[in-house]
Amino acid sequence: MRRLIYLLVRALRNMAQSPFLCSAAVGTVTVALLILAFFALVVLNVQQLTRHWSRDIQVVAYFDKVPSARRLDGVLSRLKGWPEVEGVRYVSPRQAYDRFFRRLGDDADLLAGLPRDFLPAALEIRLQPAARTSAGVAGLVERLRSSGDFSDLRYGQEWLEKFEAFLAVLRTAAVILGGFLLFAALFIVANTIKLTLYARRDELEVMALVGATPVFIKTPFLVEGALQGGIGGLLALAGGYGLFRLFLRQDLGALLLSTGLDRILFLPPTWQLVLVLTGTLLGFLGSLLSLRRLVRI
Amino acid sequence: MIQAFNLSKQYRKDSAALRDVTLKIAKGEFVYITGPSGAGKSTLLKLLYADERPTRGQILVDGQNLTRMNARRIAMVRRRLGVVFQDFKLINSRTVFENVAFPLEVQGKKRYEVSNRVYQVLKHVGIEHKMKRYPLELSGGEQQRVAIARALIIDPMILIADEPTGNLDPDNTREVMELFKGANARGTTVLIATHDRNMIERFPRRLLALDQGRLVEDRMP
Repeated sequence: MRRLIYLLVRALRNMAQSPFLCSAAVGTVTVALLILAFFALVVLNVQQLTRHWSRDIQVVAYFDKVPSARRLDGVLSRLKGWPEVEGVRYVSPRQAYDRFFRRLGDDADLLAGLPRDFLPAALEIRLQPAARTSAGVAGLVERLRSSGDFSDLRYGQEWLEKFEAFLAVLRTAAVILGGFLLFAALFIVANTIKLTLYARRDELEVMALVGATPVFIKTPFLVEGALQGGIGGLLALAGGYGLFRLFLRQDLGALLLSTGLDRILFLPPTWQLVLVLTGTLLGFLGSLLSLRRLVRI
Repeated sequence: MIQAFNLSKQYRKDSAALRDVTLKIAKGEFVYITGPSGAGKSTLLKLLYADERPTRGQILVDGQNLTRMNARRIAMVRRRLGVVFQDFKLINSRTVFENVAFPLEVQGKKRYEVSNRVYQVLKHVGIEHKMKRYPLELSGGEQQRVAIARALIIDPMILIADEPTGNLDPDNTREVMELFKGANARGTTVLIATHDRNMIERFPRRLLALDQGRLVEDRMP
């Protein structure tokens, strides 16, 4: 325990002894993580957007003729029992007419002379989030078709395939970009820490020559790296929140809100914790990599 | 205390810093290692405190083979060696007191133990009044004394010094030699690499002479 406190004190003293280099390391971690935080913020909100869009995925099933109340109840209760179905809404010919009328707006007079029940009765079937895929929709359509209750089914297969391709591209881009950013951050942090170690190379050398064990030499620098990384992570979080409040909420908001989102999110607590821990890990790994190259015992 | 068998060290393929050196130094001996510049004196010392590994041969210190040790065990051997480096190797960001305390700090000694011992050793080398100064505020002779104090603080089994009087005037040289002789009188084996003929003549001891990496002379006084 005494040894542990001693190593921690040494790490803090090292930081206090070279405030400029310490600030440089913390600053580097902060900037690297700020970029990561910004990226995470965009990914989070685009994810939110795609989740929002996926709510529009639904199957419309048309009856050949207006069903009796009893038949409708039977069909509705059966469909609601299916696991992939989130909800079902009946649209009568009259409701369909009213909706169409409203949509036509100024051109509504095109409907003049047509009976109010000329559109078919239909069911709008929303899917559970897990089933909002082209395979999920295809499965549901197959079951609906084999039930024999409906004359026609519409489900926007082409749109769904494009949506899925977009999501796949987004996921791949997130993984590649995120990985690249992390790697770049590690590279920059490791090199900055290497500079701080280089400035103390005489101390490292003397330590080894007077009989310090490798653990004794390296531990304070690893603790120092982790502390600097953690502080950098906290500063990046604070900076990220500041940027979010000042710019992103308006600018990213203006972009994304036009697509139907109701609000822009900041990173949730788990992501915030991950950001700070990533900083700590970056600092630790950065020190470890530099020490391996610099400390020859 | 020290045994070396067929010790060779090559930094480059075409030239050897040390060639086939075999020697034996008993416990409590005082030995000069001498020879012209580039003869291999510093290399031999570096092999003795395991700062370098030999290209060929074996080296035993207090019965332990340095060539087969891992970093941790080498650290344990170094805790029993006091080394005075040619360039002193003091840490400029630490005070004289902290520099001298460093070997004990590394060994995890208690604070009050360290303070007492450091003060005693600084007084012994005559520099206790400058213990709060930083190395760059001291003269070359004073820095040399700090380096010696750091080597003596652990009561070393072997004291190794590389050109310890190279930059000192005759008075300082005499005082430094008295410190080494004192340590030797207390049982420490002393090895000094030097090409200072005057010093060897004034304080005659066993002499090992190196030339072009070979041991060419082993002479008792």
